[in-house]
Amino acid sequence: MNTVENFEIYAPKLIEKREFFSPGHRACQGCGEVLALRLLLKALGEDTVVSNATGCMEIISSAYPHTAWNLPYIHVAFENAAAVASGVEAGLKALRRKGKIADRYVKSVAIAGDGGTVDIGLQALSGAMERGHDMIFFCLDNEAYMNTGIQRSSATPFMAATTTSPAGKAIKGQRTGKKNVPEIMVAHNIPYVATACPSYPLDLMNKVEKARKTIGPSYIHIFSVCPTGWRAASNETVKLGRMAVETGFFPLYEVENGKYRLTIDYPEKRRPMADYLRLQGRFRHLDPADIAKVQELVDKEFRKLMHKVKTSVPWS
Amino acid sequence: MQGNRVIGEAAIRAGCRFYAGYPITPQNELTEYMADNMRRAKGGIFIQAESEIAAINMVLGASAAGARAMTSSSSPGISLKQEGISSLAADELPAVIVNIMRGGPGLGNILPSQGDYFQATRGGGHGDYRTIVLAPASVQELADLTMDAFELADRYRNPVIILADGMMGQMMEPVEFHAPPPRRYPECYVLKGMGQGKSKFIRALILDAIRMEEHNWKLYRKYQVIAQKEVRCETFWTDDAEILIVAYGTAARIAKGAIKRSRELGLPVGLIRPITLWPFPTQVLQGFAARVDDFLVFEMNTGQMLEDVQLALGNTARIQFYGRPGGVIPTPAELAKVIAYQLRKK
Repeated sequence: MNTVENFEIYAPKLIEKREFFSPGHRACQGCGEVLALRLLLKALGEDTVVSNATGCMEIISSAYPHTAWNLPYIHVAFENAAAVASGVEAGLKALRRKGKIADRYVKSVAIAGDGGTVDIGLQALSGAMERGHDMIFFCLDNEAYMNTGIQRSSATPFMAATTTSPAGKAIKGQRTGKKNVPEIMVAHNIPYVATACPSYPLDLMNKVEKARKTIGPSYIHIFSVCPTGWRAASNETVKLGRMAVETGFFPLYEVENGKYRLTIDYPEKRRPMADYLRLQGRFRHLDPADIAKVQELVDKEFRKLMHKVKTSVPWS
Repeated sequence: MQGNRVIGEAAIRAGCRFYAGYPITPQNELTEYMADNMRRAKGGIFIQAESEIAAINMVLGASAAGARAMTSSSSPGISLKQEGISSLAADELPAVIVNIMRGGPGLGNILPSQGDYFQATRGGGHGDYRTIVLAPASVQELADLTMDAFELADRYRNPVIILADGMMGQMMEPVEFHAPPPRRYPECYVLKGMGQGKSKFIRALILDAIRMEEHNWKLYRKYQVIAQKEVRCETFWTDDAEILIVAYGTAARIAKGAIKRSRELGLPVGLIRPITLWPFPTQVLQGFAARVDDFLVFEMNTGQMLEDVQLALGNTARIQFYGRPGGVIPTPAELAKVIAYQLRKK
């Protein structure tokens, strides 16, 4: 099995002390996305070029003439973070080959929100992954277009109310489930795909570190709680992230060369979805029958994943 | 009511039954209004597309199926929609596209600007085509022109662009909705299942050069008719004016404020406000040029409509320009100073 070599597991005292995403940015109270960003940049280190699609993270961090980024950073349009990161990677490679820049390993990284990944950015993402650029794509998934005022995306969960999927008597919010983009990425046969959540910081950093060491394209889907958009209390960000993972709604796993592995142990009986839904205003309109429906959907998805964990084999 | 919502309400009242949108500031309220209210309209469909390109092409499909269809976006999103708008023009399908302009180029900012004048009036996408461009300057006019836009789109089977900016979209004013006339349109092009008769065919790919030329000339003749019949323009305090401001949309509102101030000081100044940016009121301007020597073009960009004014007037008048691009909203006092300066110079 061709696993990542020279991989050190993170411990709190090994974590980078420097901040690559500095305080003073304009994020809301309790922003889960900023938390994820800060941790993942610490794990990436200084030899990184970030291509960031439009979205919350760009708006809050790069309002001219201020910036929160202590790393090389380029802001691009909504749909093309993966394409620009491909270009950055290819450009660096060409310059290195010609001896125009120092021969050191600089990782090209694309960061986009869920809209910039699962909706408008999917074409560019698929292209970049198919071409096999040596890059990492991070999706910071807060389950809607929060930057423009909470519009639904294809990452919005079943029955969540947003401004463009309002909850009424006949239609209870979002009518479709969450698009499973990590699965689409696995289908591209790329070396490393993972899901992560900043409520599990060491797990997240380990995965980022692993992706950085991987030669070739890798994809990490980061579940980022958005108290503003989810109508939740801003001091419950970490708790909500933990609940999403514990209920199995957003299981933490990684796929290395096609082999699925859960990175967290699940008990026989998972935490019920009702606990998680109750804390969020966007699910306020659900009655017990609806919650049962949501639970059923989550169980089904979880069973599918467990089947893959048991049966998948590495393809190299 | 807020400008963005007014556009939504006017569209629904005008019989718009298909709306495809995608989030972009500063037009989100329109998308939200449609999400909330399209369901209430009989048979109305709201779709949030996965991208701007998908949204405009959904509109193309809905229009081909005979629905009154609309989409909206702001500057960067409209750039993405250009391929679809070009196709709509080539296929001769009616559609209404709302552009709530913001600062550019690139992603720019989210403040009001008028930087998309060239893009809107010159076609915008590729190929030899034109779109009717309406520039409202009040919330009431947003309502009226939205209703008219559907009429014009049906009458000429051509995409119509409503060119407003972030200020129009976000502004709140009282508004009155008029009952629009019932929809009349030739159903000959509508694709609705074969049934009896010949199958219909909508296409924009014409490989034969002569046929393509014929199609281009056909479109051209249509545009000539529009240019003759559909010019709209408002004049304000022009009777004894010695200097005329040419401005549209938000800039025209600011100009009106500046003119009132200047008139209080006894300065003879008036306003010409094009309501249709294409077709441009060339003849109106030429009519004034016989009497007035000085024109001041005022825009919230670095000088785009200026070129149309120069084309219209040539060397027959002195044309000055004042503009603030990038989302800066100039004040009436600021413009009044410019007017005073221009008059002193005279």
